[in-house]
Amino acid sequence: MTRPIIDPNRVDSNWRAITAELDAPEPGRVEAMLRRLGVPASTTRLIAATPALRRSWYLAIGIAAIVGLGAAGPGDRASLFALLTLAPTLPVLGVALAFGPSSDPMYEAQLATPTRGIRLVAIRAATVLVVSIAVIGTLALLDPDTRPMAAAWLLPALALTLATLATMTVLTPRRSAAVVTVTWFVIVSVVQAVASGNLAAFGVIGQVVALVVVIVAGGVVGARRDRFDRLEYLT
Amino acid sequence: MSAAHVCAEGLGVTLRGAVVLREVDMHIGAGLTAILGPNGAGKTTLLRCVATVLAHDDGELTVDGLDPRRESERIEIRRRLGYLPQEVGLLEGSRVFDVVEYLAALKGFRDDRRRRLAVFDVLDRVGLRDRAETPVDRLSSGMRRRLGLAQALLGDPALIVLDEPAAGLDPEERIRLREILTERRHSSTIVMSTHLTDEASVCDRIVVLVDGAVRFTGAPAELAAHASGRAWVQAAAPSPDVRASWQQADGSHRCLGSPVADADLVPPTLEDGYLLLSGARTA
Repeated sequence: MTRPIIDPNRVDSNWRAITAELDAPEPGRVEAMLRRLGVPASTTRLIAATPALRRSWYLAIGIAAIVGLGAAGPGDRASLFALLTLAPTLPVLGVALAFGPSSDPMYEAQLATPTRGIRLVAIRAATVLVVSIAVIGTLALLDPDTRPMAAAWLLPALALTLATLATMTVLTPRRSAAVVTVTWFVIVSVVQAVASGNLAAFGVIGQVVALVVVIVAGGVVGARRDRFDRLEYLT
Repeated sequence: MSAAHVCAEGLGVTLRGAVVLREVDMHIGAGLTAILGPNGAGKTTLLRCVATVLAHDDGELTVDGLDPRRESERIEIRRRLGYLPQEVGLLEGSRVFDVVEYLAALKGFRDDRRRRLAVFDVLDRVGLRDRAETPVDRLSSGMRRRLGLAQALLGDPALIVLDEPAAGLDPEERIRLREILTERRHSSTIVMSTHLTDEASVCDRIVVLVDGAVRFTGAPAELAAHASGRAWVQAAAPSPDVRASWQQADGSHRCLGSPVADADLVPPTLEDGYLLLSGARTA
């Protein structure tokens, strides 16, 4: 019996690899853009693939643009207060819409994969945070009235996002977002009323408090990360 | 990757104050195992525990000796796992390829070429390769189920957990499903839930779950034998004492339970054994 010159199994394997490359559909617009920016394809899949993510992505861009344009318009203290108060809640909204069984139809199938739930939710939260920062930050920097305080909402945004994630270890994502957002509005309104409209909530003390929240909520998320890996608390 | 071994001892789950699983003992190795039971028996909860997405409250559960309550061991189990939940949601706007590639990324296929190859491999197996670019909202319910099965087969997992894989499939698709599972049964441990006895009949072993407790574990023939001497056919309408009965196409009544005198006993089927075990009363 003569031995084939070329191993048929190898030919078959190579042929399957070639056809897989040729048949693979082109990625969507968002994903293609991320790949051009150098983000690995295995990560762009996680960011752009699901509708839950796309919804939160588009929603964040849309609301961020409205908030940013609204604040940049009249150029008064009230508009700036609105920008600083509303902008940090956008990532919270994004997180609530990008995670959990009510937002993500593949939630249960995803849980059973080796990718930790906390990693997935962190990637999604970071995505919404980055988009919000890019849109609102750019619009705030364009206006001379908002420029000095353009970065004052960043630490509160991170604090609220982490507080939402920490609350998600006991409540559903949407309830967590509602609790954190309402609490934030109450605190900021009270401080604003007491400080006679001086944007005190976004001053040095406000930033220090936000930093403390970041550290504490980050610790809670890290310690209770197991909760993002299981189904029971979300069903 | 060799088949996984699933071991449950005294497994118990309580959800919102209700006991859903109680004292479940189960040892499952290579081959095809059906979890058979009526609606609400706890099949989905049991499979969710095996698939590590739901934590159990009592007893022990291990997969290849790994305990899903420990994070690192749970991740290791998930590396060996393929899971089809009862409901795989629609990803409106996504294409068939995108859905499977997304889960392949989550399953750790980092290399682009390997990932695409793996995706087309499973799409080939479930007969959806030609639909790779079709939006999932244009798929029939049977095709969606096959898509769910495709992601569960990614990477040739040692443990495949399928919750009602035959739901919504037409006869031709069911045969294809059987072929796929038969092909994998020697190299994987496949656990699937069903309430269809004809699906269970092709399995290596059957676990009957009723009210959260295991009532039977064994081969399909053993389940059928459970009704041995307790299945008969009669022309007259059965008395209310029979455990279960139904009228057949020829007008006669098939009855289960303690046979009446001079009953015309018939060879028992798997369905007879299951109905007697599950305590169904269909008369």
